Amino acid sequence: MSVLLEVRNASRKFGALMAVNNVSFSVGQGELLGLIGPNGAGKSTLYNLIAGVLPPTAGEIVFDGKTVTGWKPYEVARVGIGRTFQIPKPYRQLSVVENVMLTAFLREKSIAGARRLAEITLADVGLADYFGTPVSALTVGLLKRLEVARALAMQPKLVLFDEIMAGLTPTEVGVMTKFVAGLPARGITVIWVEHVLYAIMKTASRIIVLNRGELIAEGPPAAMARDPAVVKAYLGEEMDLA
Amino acid sequence: MSIAEPKPTGKARRLPILPQRGKVSLFEILLLLVCIGLVAVGLSPTLRDVLLLTFLFAGLALAWNIAGGYAGLISFGHAAFFGVGAYTSTILLVHFNVTPWIGIWCGGLLAAVFGAVLALVCARLRGPFFILSTLAFAEVVRIGALNWASLTGGPEGLSISPAPSLINMVFTSKTTYAALMLGYAVLVYAITKALEASRYGYYLFAIRDDEDAASAAGVNPQLGRTSAMALSASLTGIGGSLFAQYFLYLDPTFVISPEISFQFALLPAVGGLGTAIGPVLGSFLITPLSELLRSNLGNAAAGLHLVIYSAGLIVVMLYFPGGLAAAIGKLARWRPFS
Repeated sequence: MSVLLEVRNASRKFGALMAVNNVSFSVGQGELLGLIGPNGAGKSTLYNLIAGVLPPTAGEIVFDGKTVTGWKPYEVARVGIGRTFQIPKPYRQLSVVENVMLTAFLREKSIAGARRLAEITLADVGLADYFGTPVSALTVGLLKRLEVARALAMQPKLVLFDEIMAGLTPTEVGVMTKFVAGLPARGITVIWVEHVLYAIMKTASRIIVLNRGELIAEGPPAAMARDPAVVKAYLGEEMDLA
Repeated sequence: MSIAEPKPTGKARRLPILPQRGKVSLFEILLLLVCIGLVAVGLSPTLRDVLLLTFLFAGLALAWNIAGGYAGLISFGHAAFFGVGAYTSTILLVHFNVTPWIGIWCGGLLAAVFGAVLALVCARLRGPFFILSTLAFAEVVRIGALNWASLTGGPEGLSISPAPSLINMVFTSKTTYAALMLGYAVLVYAITKALEASRYGYYLFAIRDDEDAASAAGVNPQLGRTSAMALSASLTGIGGSLFAQYFLYLDPTFVISPEISFQFALLPAVGGLGTAIGPVLGSFLITPLSELLRSNLGNAAAGLHLVIYSAGLIVVMLYFPGGLAAAIGKLARWRPFS
């Protein structure tokens, strides 16, 4: 498996706080990597380093053979990294399909082409009935799906999902889990931050665990569920994956 | 999740009745015909004055709307670009004998540079801080124009010779001016409509609504903001040149006042921000109202026209917060007996 993303000794300091401290890991092509850890562990900061929202204070990020350290978010997006936002950030004055067209423009330059790609992507996440709906009319669950559609409409090589299950009903979680699990087969590598653990433990091919800015464990989900360091820092008790 | 097939995109092309984003509508065609008709019929001089100012301010409001309505760059400093355009063509004509037919485009170009500078200087400012900076920017330009007297004539201003001349863009007939102003408004309207239908227009909407999300979609927000401000400033500068050619006189306080800046922002706000028809409707309502109130009541009771004018504005803001454009849309959907 070829390496798609490599994070090398990345650190990010906010004043005296090491939000991300010397973290190294890599993601292989077609992998579904789970990223878990307690609140404040540095997951969002790590995402921001990869997506270019913040430059790392030290370390390097290599994506698809290119060193993207310190690149701007729009530059990172253009080489094929899509992302969702933990708190959905829709374009309030645009319709659902127009929201998705903006990312589709990275693949389809024409308005009609981008609209078509956006519609296909929306249908894919179950929003086929909402093309012309103003985003203000969407529920939290639908907004989360819109975030997913926006990230996928650019047909990214790598997508960063940030808590796309929060606020969803159990049924929606089930549907979404199945959907995310199917992405690697379509050539989309996934990194997934999630607090809905049974969803991520069931689907991820590998899990990395952050605590206080440091990477404390890495391995297959079953091993992570029993790992004493992970149990102590985050899970509280061993997790039964059956 | 189900794979539903997307709706067919090759729908039958029918002319929409009411204005829609990126499409030409029946309403707009009829409005243009009415405007041409108004230019052609013999109105009284006062009314013709009002008419040509209405056209000019429609164009200026549209130009402001590109930055304020589409890119979310609410500016209270557009009088600076208006002044830069007015001064550029006038200085070229008065000092260097360059025809305004060329000078106008030079003014537009220089105003674009000023717009880009403003956007870059205020790159990190948002909301009220951005707005206040634009206000300050225009004051800096005004004071600059007051003090650079060798070029601008300082507080005495500059006058253009009133002798009619096609090459100097000076006309005796107000009909010609009205046609000129209408042409300007139509130009800015066409640019606005083209923008709405383009990928670039969508980039601006995205930057306006959520910069982080736009950036994650591969859009460079700073480039979008700067170019939108430059385009808006440029079109405002062209309007400034036309204004100078009509009044044949300008001084810094006349063309670069905060009142002028507020007017540019007010017309789209009343008509409907971020729509093409909004600034036009705003100008058609507000410009005649303010001109006629001023000329009819200005002498009888000083300040009364401002009271009526302000009361009208408050009513619009209270009852039509989306502007006149939204009100028309609502009216069209109104079915009282169903």
